[in-house]
Amino acid sequence: MLGIWRYILIALSVLQPVFGVIESKHTNNWAVLVSTSRFWFNYRHMANVLSMYRTVKRLGIPDSQIILMLSDDVACNSRNLFPGSVFNNQDHAIDLYGDSVEVDYRGYEVTVENFIRLLTDRWYEDQPKSKRLLTDENSNIFIYMTGHGGDDFLKFQDAEEIASEDIADAFEQMYEKKRYNEIFFMVDTCQANTMYSKFYSPNILAVGSSEIDESSYSHHSDVEIGVAVIDRFTYYSLDFLEGIEKDSNTTLQDLFDSYTFEKVHSHAGIRKDLFQRDLKDVLITDFFANVQNVIPDQGKDEFISAADSKISGDNKNDSFVPNILNLALERTAWESEKIRENETSAGVSPFTKTSKLNGNNWIRQEGSSTNTYPHIIAVIVVLFTSTIYCLIPRSASPTSTTKGQRLPYM
Amino acid sequence: MPSTTFKLRKLIGVCLLALYLLLGVPVWYKLTTTYRAPLPIEYIHALHEDKLQDIHMVIPVYIKCDTYRFPDLHEAVQVQVNSLLNSKNQNVPWSLQLMPYDAKKLQDSNTSKGADYHVVNLVLDGFVGFSLAYDAKETTVFFDDSSVITNDLPFFIAQTVVEHAFELEWSELSSEKSLKATNSMAISYRPNIHVSISLLTGDGYPVSWEIDSTLKKYFSPLRKFLSPLVNFTVDTGILYYNDLNLHTLNTRKNVTWQDLSHSIDLSELLSMNYFSESASLNLAVVFPSEQNCKHGLSFINDNWDGFLVPQWGMIVVNKYPLKQNSSLTERYLTPIMYQFATNIFQLLGLKKDSQELISPSITIDSFKRITILQNIHKAEETLWSLAKLTQAFQTMSIPKEVLRNVTEALELRLQIVDMLNDPFQGDDELWNRALILSNQLVELSEAAFFHGEMVQQNFFPQEHKLAVYLPLLGPITVVTFFGFIRLIKEKPDDKKKRSNEPEKPTGNVVEKTYELEE
Repeated sequence: MLGIWRYILIALSVLQPVFGVIESKHTNNWAVLVSTSRFWFNYRHMANVLSMYRTVKRLGIPDSQIILMLSDDVACNSRNLFPGSVFNNQDHAIDLYGDSVEVDYRGYEVTVENFIRLLTDRWYEDQPKSKRLLTDENSNIFIYMTGHGGDDFLKFQDAEEIASEDIADAFEQMYEKKRYNEIFFMVDTCQANTMYSKFYSPNILAVGSSEIDESSYSHHSDVEIGVAVIDRFTYYSLDFLEGIEKDSNTTLQDLFDSYTFEKVHSHAGIRKDLFQRDLKDVLITDFFANVQNVIPDQGKDEFISAADSKISGDNKNDSFVPNILNLALERTAWESEKIRENETSAGVSPFTKTSKLNGNNWIRQEGSSTNTYPHIIAVIVVLFTSTIYCLIPRSASPTSTTKGQRLPYM
Repeated sequence: MPSTTFKLRKLIGVCLLALYLLLGVPVWYKLTTTYRAPLPIEYIHALHEDKLQDIHMVIPVYIKCDTYRFPDLHEAVQVQVNSLLNSKNQNVPWSLQLMPYDAKKLQDSNTSKGADYHVVNLVLDGFVGFSLAYDAKETTVFFDDSSVITNDLPFFIAQTVVEHAFELEWSELSSEKSLKATNSMAISYRPNIHVSISLLTGDGYPVSWEIDSTLKKYFSPLRKFLSPLVNFTVDTGILYYNDLNLHTLNTRKNVTWQDLSHSIDLSELLSMNYFSESASLNLAVVFPSEQNCKHGLSFINDNWDGFLVPQWGMIVVNKYPLKQNSSLTERYLTPIMYQFATNIFQLLGLKKDSQELISPSITIDSFKRITILQNIHKAEETLWSLAKLTQAFQTMSIPKEVLRNVTEALELRLQIVDMLNDPFQGDDELWNRALILSNQLVELSEAAFFHGEMVQQNFFPQEHKLAVYLPLLGPITVVTFFGFIRLIKEKPDDKKKRSNEPEKPTGNVVEKTYELEE
């Protein structure tokens, strides 16, 4: 049933340029989700990031390909009325901090240096693989950042800040080493649009929540939690993304069209001059999901027959059927036979002289032999040795030889 | 103040200024300047621009004919081969070195290590044709007497060897896309690859499988066969209550490949983080749940179907669920291993699409050479990226270790190039050694590029610099310079006095000096 789709797939790939549809070339998706603010009153930044985490995970990006940086542990904060839980809405319908959250960088690990190291993959040897961005030239990366920002900077942990130039330079280093296919950069802070203003590497699409000299706002507060639980820009992004499934044809243009001043209360900005594709062709799932292409594999019957002939061939020494595995099996069998031959020839070598005495080649006669001479000689040697051993006086203790007594080669 | 005290003060002032300028400034400069090792930028740039053109890969090929003696055939074939190769633009120069069959040399090597060199066998027949040996690096060219009389034989041999036996080199090294990996199915080449083999069942019933004996019997020989190219490490496991989300497709009538792509959930199988290898391949054998699919998965035609997932691996989807305490036998797993072995060739990039492998031995041999050249190219590009970045970011430090890695990589590259260019060396051992060295070359170049100390914030706003340096250097600079200027302007008291009150006794001066010192 699936066989015909293989040909349709090939036909579609051939016809794509004709219809003007340009698909992404990526084969894997990664997400880097960063909350940079500390302290309880910044609860919403943690909720923003965890909401994005939940969305990308729901759409199939595995935990091994999500780097989650949470600057504070609000779930376990003593002020949290719902210990171990984080909510992004006052209805408390979805616990964002469930059993399966894998935080890669927490608390004071969320630093500018670690973020730059993550992007450029410059680590010391002891850095675990799970905390590295192991992307390649086929990777689409979604980078989401939230926190408190200003003109061309974003604060980290109330102690330091990252400049837009730093991120731009890190992206350039990634581009130089072919560490991405496309990047979608989303930032939700005050004056967020300044954060992507310095980018200069190709294939980067960026969206921010607010213009220069403009604040980003929170959406609503939760009376029980006591603080704002989500930001407006992220809230409406998530509102849109909740309707997306892995097979959705919705594009990023649709998402950007959904940002209005009435909703976000600030001017969301888009930077697309570095991006090659038309936004109408860029599926949401190109960045927020991980869709693995599955291709029906042909030739099953051939393999079954090859396996059958091998299994039956084991019994009746069937001839060689051209197959890679058969070739490997044959090669191994040949090699082990060669080793065995060597071992056998090495093992019978003491008897060779005897056989030569009789004018026969014993090496050719492996296994049981009718000739009893070697056995007789072996018995005589054993008897002779044991006789000599019995004749040696037991009381005599071995004396060490002097240098003069030793043979020259000793 | 007497003139001697004034001179002393002036001397101290000059000393302090000299200390500031000669010691303070150099120490400050030394302590604040980032170390930047001098990389051989010009040489790396020349490599990137291919100005050196020092690579010319030569592959020795021996011609053997038992029927006739052709004393100058190899020379005639050499002319034809050269002309054929020159007819195409070669991005990476390569050629074949045709030689008459050297029985002593080749038999010696063959007995010890297998078919080490490529041999062309000439067989007299009623027609002209060729065949490539499946299990050896051997090409057989059939010829007839008329082809000898018309002197067409050298061309037949040249065409067979260049366009068929060395088809991979012919297509990859002579095209525009040369040395750029464009295969969306295959993973990037890595010398160490992890293979994860999983049995998934939708239920929680205890199940077992004879994977250990099957792997020993079928996968170990394959591992050994491919060991010059890739070192495979293997793990196996059983996952319960996981059918990769396939049960959601059971309600649909017509399941397309797109439905399958969108429904299948491989997230729990992407466990490459737990292994040290940088690349992994997967084989998943999936059984649906008895509860959800009692009558089996409707879109599976037979007992099981195989699916290829690009750059990931292979999935075997079974139609019917496993019963309680089931055991999958070696007989069931053997065809899967056969299919997986063939797919591994595709996933490694050894063959494209589902085309047949005419001669695995020749393909593996060619693949080694292409991989060596790709590794050299990759390392050159990495070094060029490093050179560009270090020039672009002047504040980025370049540790000595980076310079050492770069130097070692460049030396290693020359060593590999020497091996590739040698026209008389081309046995398996040479290509294996060159491949190992080229892997080391990539490792060294990446170690240089990804050095952990080369991470600093490259951008520091002027306000930051001012905020850091002003509190520290401001007071010292102000006190030193203004104090010195005041000292220069100051005149000794006796001179002052001489100009104002020349008759005044010196005792008053001493008194005034004391006042000043207070």
